[in-house]
Amino acid sequence: MKRFRSLRLLAGIWALSVSVLASGCAGISHSGHNRGESPLPFQGKTITLVTANHPWADAIRPLLPEFEAATGVNVIIQGFFEDQLTQKLTLQLTTGAETPDVFMYRPLQEGKLFYKNGWLEPLDDYVRQDAEYDRSDFSSEAIRSATVDGKLAGIPVIMEQGILYYRKDLLQKAGIPVPDTIDKLVSAARLLHDPDNGVYGFVARGQRSPLVTQVSSFLYSEGGDFTSGQQATINTPEAMRAFTIYGSLLRDYGPPGVINMSWPQASAFFAEGKAAFYTDANSIFKSASDPARSTIAEHIGFASFPAGGNGSRTYNITSWGLAMNPKAVDKAAAWAFIRWATSKEIVLQTQRKGNPGARYSVWNMSEGTAGFPKEMVEVIKQYGIGGVDHDRPTVINVAEARETVGEIVQRVMTGDPDLQQAADRANAALQAILDKEAE
Amino acid sequence: MNKQKKTANLIFGVLTIAVLLLFAFPFFWMLLASFKTQGQIMSTEQLFVFKPTMDNYSDVFKEYDFLKYILNSFVVALGSTLFALLLGLPAAYAIARHKLHKLGLVILIARIIPGITFLIPWFILFSKLELIDSYTSLILSHMLVGLPFIIWIMISFFEALPTEIEESGLIDGCTRHQVFMRIILPISGPGIITSSLLSFIFSWNNFMFSIILAGDKTKPLPVAVFNFMSYSEINWGGLMAAACIITLPVLIIALLAQRYVVSGLAAGAVKG
Repeated sequence: MKRFRSLRLLAGIWALSVSVLASGCAGISHSGHNRGESPLPFQGKTITLVTANHPWADAIRPLLPEFEAATGVNVIIQGFFEDQLTQKLTLQLTTGAETPDVFMYRPLQEGKLFYKNGWLEPLDDYVRQDAEYDRSDFSSEAIRSATVDGKLAGIPVIMEQGILYYRKDLLQKAGIPVPDTIDKLVSAARLLHDPDNGVYGFVARGQRSPLVTQVSSFLYSEGGDFTSGQQATINTPEAMRAFTIYGSLLRDYGPPGVINMSWPQASAFFAEGKAAFYTDANSIFKSASDPARSTIAEHIGFASFPAGGNGSRTYNITSWGLAMNPKAVDKAAAWAFIRWATSKEIVLQTQRKGNPGARYSVWNMSEGTAGFPKEMVEVIKQYGIGGVDHDRPTVINVAEARETVGEIVQRVMTGDPDLQQAADRANAALQAILDKEAE
Repeated sequence: MNKQKKTANLIFGVLTIAVLLLFAFPFFWMLLASFKTQGQIMSTEQLFVFKPTMDNYSDVFKEYDFLKYILNSFVVALGSTLFALLLGLPAAYAIARHKLHKLGLVILIARIIPGITFLIPWFILFSKLELIDSYTSLILSHMLVGLPFIIWIMISFFEALPTEIEESGLIDGCTRHQVFMRIILPISGPGIITSSLLSFIFSWNNFMFSIILAGDKTKPLPVAVFNFMSYSEINWGGLMAAACIITLPVLIIALLAQRYVVSGLAAGAVKG
């Protein structure tokens, strides 16, 4: 009897465990659009879309039912913060998982690594077979950013360029025009630098790795680049001039502690009205121009990146793209989604909500530019065709390569007397990365 | 003499406050920031004096739907703790009474190996079983840490209990199971509460397992908190409000159970 009771107890515990565990595994629900009506091309198919926490994802989410109704595909969408997204994608793709079918990725940060690992389906054939999709409508810089080894590894979704943010009121008070050359920027920053009254001349990213994408505009405008073919070129005279200008601007006219600032700190500093000039990507314009977050929203001006010895050359890149998992079960359905999400109609809708897309035709529509400040649209249009298709060294191990460049700039900021030697060392380190990857 | 003692007390008091400030300030800052607008958070002039707003908290629930994530976290934390207790208590008892120390060591190894080692096999396994984004996979994975925790705290607890109590139970006609259920468990309250509390807090805060194994349906709080950070924007106010909300339940549970925790920890510690 007693033995029986304890057995019953055990059985009870077991049954409880099983039922609770089982209740947790509710299967994926398939929403049955248009059941019983005319057959849709992908009726009953399900694709998983993984996005970053990005305004583009917020814009596409409410449009998904449209796509589902038209194709019969059921889209499961999941969003993650960008670093988590990389972790999650890396792990899932390493295991050869069939999901996600479609995902957002950063072509210049992860593209080369992902492609070489066979995690990105080349999309050239899909695009080529499809005249209506109009590949030539895409910005050629954007396409180049998303191309690895001559293959289109993803479709550009978000574009990004470097611009100069400035304070109209301060410039007006001092009676100086918007600087159109880097030399004029330096002298204007010197003139407006007045820390005793709470205004610094210049602010930008000073943190070692984050600063690399922003110093790139100085580098290109002075005629340099990170690499040339398989050769590291971050110790050339052009590169040294660019790094010295950027580093000294921050050292001489930047806020204290700028060496620890990335874009969240730098843009907040500017939005608080504490700096006269700020160079960064145009994608973060809202933190400066949104009155809820910025005390100087009405005084913000946007200008093209000032010209250096080699003219005004900034990056013009794809910061986010859509890619397909080569292991996806139904690639046709996955492509149908990518095609839809990057079609003219949908790009217009997402761009209207402030997501700068890669299609020329949308930029040429007045509706297409409604989501941006007028002055910024002028700058973007002025960049038009041109600019550099990368904003960081194009290698597989981007993180390590960024450190080498960042180190030189930080040494300028801390006033290292033996700069050339440090640059030579950093250049050798970057060369070692390139050589290793060329093997 | 007396004067010396007074100065010693004074120094002790000052040091206590200094340490307290050091540890409590981040929490205090978090609390203040959760009532500020984005501009106020970034401004150094409005560190302590500012016009408070409740917008962040309403955002957390309305715009970001945090109730769902709170529920997810509760289900997973409670589930993993309960199942870990279910398996861990009898296991710890058996190890303690039958001196199965080698087995205990093997279980401890699961705790020593970095959790990330398990993630890839788990992901493959759970995706084959179609258990990604299910409570089952999250509960099972969180048990990996909770279970050894409970077993190890309870082993020393059970070992400290005098065997005479059990023997008298056996003499009076109890079976081993009944001794465990009716005598041992009721007097093990402090140990059980301490170990389940720690197991619960671990699960509540776990990020690494959840990020890989959870999806949109089962996303728990530590993962959801990152919804406030996006590519070109960080919503600091919302982030701080969410952080306060996440801290609150653990704080409440810990305060309520504090009495037991202290005696539980001591019980494990002074065992001869």
